[in-house]
Amino acid sequence: MAVSILISFTFSWEVYPAIALMIGIYMGGVYGGSRTAILLNIPGAPSAIATALDGYPMAKRGEAGTAIGVTTVMSFIGGFIGIGVLALAAPLVSEFALTFQPRDYMLLAVLGILLVGSLSQGSLLKGIFAGALGIAIGAVGRDPLTFTERFTFDLQLMEGGISFIAVMIGMFGVSEALLQLHHVHTPSLRQKIGRILPSLATVKKHLPLSLQTSTIGVIIGALPGTGGDIAALMAYDHAKRVTKAPERPFGEGAIEGLVAPETANNAAVGGAFIPMMTLGIPGDAVTAIMIGALFIHGLNPGPMLMIDQPDMFWFIVGCLVTANVFMLLFGLTGIRLFTKIVEMPRAVLIPLIMLLSIVGAYAVNNSVSDVYWMLGFGLFGYFMRQYGYPLGPVILGVILSRLLDDNWRRAIISEREDLGLFFHGLFSSPLSTVLFVAVIVIFVSQTPLWARGKAKLFGKTEKTA
Amino acid sequence: MKRSLLGAIGAIALTATAAVADYPEKDIQGIIQWGAGGSTDTVMRSVTPHAEEALGGSIVLQNMTGAVGAIALNHVAGAAADGYTLLMGAENPMLYKVMGLGDKDYSEFTPINILARGTPMLVANTDAPFDSYAEMMDYIEANPGSVRFGSTGPGGLPSVITAMIETVEGGLDVIAVPYDGDGPALTGLQGGAIDVMPAVLGAAIEGIRAGKMKPLAVFDTAASDKLPDVPAVVDINAEYNTYLPWGPFFGVFAPKGTPDDIVAKLSAAYATGAQNPEFIELMEGRGYTLMGISGDEAEAFLTKWQQGTVWLLQDAGLTKTSPEAFGIKRPGE
Amino acid sequence: MQHLDPDHHDGTSQASPHREAAKRRPGELLFALALSALSLFLLWDAWGIENAFGPNGLSSPRAIPLAASFAMLVSAAIVTLKTARLPLERAETVFRDILPGVVMLFAALLIAYGILLRPLGFLPTSALFLIVAIKLLARRGWGWTIGIAAVSLLVIWLIFRILFSVLMPAGVVPEAEVIQFVRTLFAQGQS
Repeated sequence: MAVSILISFTFSWEVYPAIALMIGIYMGGVYGGSRTAILLNIPGAPSAIATALDGYPMAKRGEAGTAIGVTTVMSFIGGFIGIGVLALAAPLVSEFALTFQPRDYMLLAVLGILLVGSLSQGSLLKGIFAGALGIAIGAVGRDPLTFTERFTFDLQLMEGGISFIAVMIGMFGVSEALLQLHHVHTPSLRQKIGRILPSLATVKKHLPLSLQTSTIGVIIGALPGTGGDIAALMAYDHAKRVTKAPERPFGEGAIEGLVAPETANNAAVGGAFIPMMTLGIPGDAVTAIMIGALFIHGLNPGPMLMIDQPDMFWFIVGCLVTANVFMLLFGLTGIRLFTKIVEMPRAVLIPLIMLLSIVGAYAVNNSVSDVYWMLGFGLFGYFMRQYGYPLGPVILGVILSRLLDDNWRRAIISEREDLGLFFHGLFSSPLSTVLFVAVIVIFVSQTPLWARGKAKLFGKTEKTA
Repeated sequence: MKRSLLGAIGAIALTATAAVADYPEKDIQGIIQWGAGGSTDTVMRSVTPHAEEALGGSIVLQNMTGAVGAIALNHVAGAAADGYTLLMGAENPMLYKVMGLGDKDYSEFTPINILARGTPMLVANTDAPFDSYAEMMDYIEANPGSVRFGSTGPGGLPSVITAMIETVEGGLDVIAVPYDGDGPALTGLQGGAIDVMPAVLGAAIEGIRAGKMKPLAVFDTAASDKLPDVPAVVDINAEYNTYLPWGPFFGVFAPKGTPDDIVAKLSAAYATGAQNPEFIELMEGRGYTLMGISGDEAEAFLTKWQQGTVWLLQDAGLTKTSPEAFGIKRPGE
Repeated sequence: MQHLDPDHHDGTSQASPHREAAKRRPGELLFALALSALSLFLLWDAWGIENAFGPNGLSSPRAIPLAASFAMLVSAAIVTLKTARLPLERAETVFRDILPGVVMLFAALLIAYGILLRPLGFLPTSALFLIVAIKLLARRGWGWTIGIAAVSLLVIWLIFRILFSVLMPAGVVPEAEVIQFVRTLFAQGQS
C-alpha cells in the first residue's frame, strides 16, 4: 500500500533512486506487516495475516522478542530464496507461470478456499460461514467483467465495491482495539528480555520447511494476480500439514507457524518480479505500479527490457539484495524498543490504534466511505470474535473472491458453458490434473471421517491444550 | 508552533477575498480515474510535473478507482467548481449513459486538455493458426465458435473494435472471454487462454517486438510508423474509413462552472506541459497520437467521438439504453 | 469465574485449536439468527443479479454470489440450530461480558467520528476523539491528556499529510491554505 502512496513523489526523481526507494519500501512493507501482527494481533499488511495466528500468542507469553527474531531471520532467508530464483531462473519460472490457464487459476482459488479449514479454530461451520461471507464481500460492486451491479442495493456508495484493506483494518484493527477495552486496567504484560536472534540449531531445524514454503512463495508470487497474502496463508497451511510434532500446537505459538508465512511472503517478493522483468507483466499490485514507474521514466517495460537494458535487471536484483540485508539489520535492531509498544498503557494505545486504523483505511483510496466500511466491519468483527467466528477466513474469502469468480467464468465461457468440456479440460494438461487432484486430496482430508481418525490420534493433546 | 499557525490562519482570513489572479493558492487535487500503474495513470503522472512547472503550483495526484471510473467521475463532478479538483480521465465516461453505468459524462465538465489518442490494433497468440487479418477472417468463417477473442467488458476498446468488425464484415462467431483490463488479457493471450485480442498499440508493442504475440492489423487510416510492417485495416477493407480514425483518449477535465480564467490558466499549463520533449518522446514511443486540444475544439471532438462510438455500439446491439434517450444524435444527422 | 483472564473466551486467541464451545454466550443465538437472516437476504439479492449484456447461465455474474450466499445460509442455519441446543452460560451477562459500557461508549465515539469527519475535518475530529478517548480511559489530568493527544496527532498528521501527501478531509481547518502559507514563508525566507 505504501508504495502506491510513495510513487507520487518519486516520479520527479531519476529512475534509479525511484526504483530503489520503491523496492526498499516493498520489501520493508512485506516484512514490517508482521511486527504489528505479533505485537498487537493486527496484521500490518495482508501478507501478515497468517503471522498473527502464532505470533500474537507468543507475544502474550512474553516472547515477542523471540517471535520477532525468528520472523526477521526467516523473512531474510525467504527473501533471499526469492531473489535467487529471480536472478537465476526468471525466464524458466515465467514460462511456467504463463502456462496457467483460467481453469488453473480457478483450481488455485479453490485450493485457497480449502484453507478455511486450517484458519477456523473453534468451529469449522463458523469458519465456512466466514469464508463465504468474505467471498460475498469481495463480489460487492460492479462486476469488473460485465459491469453488472452485485449486492449494491442500487446505492452509488456500493458501486465501487468494498475496499479489501478497509475490511482487513476494521476486522483486525478496530475489533481488536474494542476487545482490548475489556482489559484496559489490566497491567500490560512484561516482555522477556531474552535471546532474540534464533540459534543456528533452530534455523537449521526449520531449514527444510523454509525451503518448501519459499518455493510456494516464489511460485504464487510469480503468478500474475496472486501474491504474498495468498502465499503466506498457503504456506501456513502447508506447515500445519507437514509438521508432525510442533513444540507447541499451532495457534498457541508454534515456531513453524511463523517460519512458514514469513519465508513465503518474502520469497513472493522476488517471485513477483519474475513476470515483471521477463514479460512486463505485473506479478502483483506493487509490481504493477513499478511497471508504471518504469514507463514514466522512459523505459519500456516488456519482454525486451532484459535484452535492451540488462543493467536494469541487475540493478533491481541488487536493490532487492540490499533491501533484504538492511531488512535483517534494521529488523534485529530496536526489537526491544518495539516490544515496549505492548507495554505502553492501553489507555493511550487503544485510541491510537483506532485513529491509525481510520487514517490507514482512508489513505488507500482517499475515500471517506472506506472509513465507514472500516468502522462498520470493526464493530461487526467485534461481535464475530465475541461469538467465536474466526476472522481469518473472511479476509481469505475477500482475497480469493475475484480470483475464483473471474477465472471460473473465463474458464466456463471458453468452453461455451459446457460443464462436460470443462471437466474434460481438467485432465487435458498435467498442471490442471495435478491441481485438481490436490483439491480432491485436501478436501477429503478435511471431511469428518478423516478428522475423526485424526482426533483418535491427537485427541488427548487437543483436550489439554 | 501554535502561535505561528494561528498567525497563518489570520493571514488567510485577511486574504481570503483575493482575486482569482492568485490561482493556485493551494494544492490542486488531480483525481485519476484508474489505478496506479495503468495507462491513464502513467500518462497523467508523466505530463503533470511539466504542467505544474508551467502553472507554478502543485497538483497532488490521487487514484480513485472503482465502478469503471464512475466513482472518480462522480466525485469530481460533485466537487466545488473552483479549479482545485480536476479529473484525469480516459474515454469511457462518454459511454456511461448508454451502458447504464451512470447518468453523468464529460458534458458535466469543461475539458482542460485532451492530451493524446491511442491506436487500436489486433494481435494474436503466436501459435494461432492464422498470420494476417484476412486469414483470421477465413479461419473464423471455417471454424465457427472456436476462436477466442479477449474482451474488457461492454464498452471497452475490444467491444468497440469487435462491433466495428461486425458492422463492416458481418457477424463474427467467436467466443468473447472477459478480462478486467487489457494488461491481464494480453497476459492471457501470451499463455494461450485467448487467441486474438483487440488492444491499444502502446500496450502490445513491447510484446510484438519480442515476438511474444503477432500483429494482425492496425485499426487506423494509415500504418503506424512504430510498426511499419503491419497493414492498416483500411488497406484491407476500405469500408473501415467510415469509422476510423478512432481510439481511446486521455484528458484533463474540470467541473463545469469553473471560472473561465482558471480554466484558461490550467489549459495553458497543460498545453505547455504536453509540449515537453520528454513527454512527447514518451508518448510517441508508445504509439500514441498527440492531440493537445482544448476549448471548443475539444468539445467538438468529444461530441463527435461520442456520437460515432455509441451508435456503433447501438447498431451492434451492445448498449443498454438507446443513445436517442439521451439526445445523442446519429453521426451526420 | 476468572473474569479478567485474557484467555477467557475473548476471541483474542484466534488460533486456539479446534474446540467446540460447550455453552452458549448471552446474545449468541440472536447473533446467529441475525447472520442467518442476512444470508437469506443476500441469497435473495444474488438471485436478482442479471447480466445485462449476456447470458445468465453458468458464466453469469450471479453464479459465485449465489454459491457464496447459499453456503452462508446453510452454515449459518446449522450454527443457529447447534447454538440453540447449547445450554446458556449463566455466569455471563450481556452488559458485563459481551457489550460492557466502555465498549458501547467507544462504538458510539467511533460512529460520532465517522459522522463528524466530513463536516468538521480530520484535524479537529481526531483531536476531539483522542482527547475524549484518552481522558476516559486513563483518567488523568487534562494537561497530560491534551499533551499526549496533541503530540500523537501531530506525528500522524506529519507522516500522512506531509510525507505521503494523503489529503484527509480538511473540513473547517483551511489546511491547504496554511500549508501554502508556510511554504511561501519558507520560499521568501530562502530568497
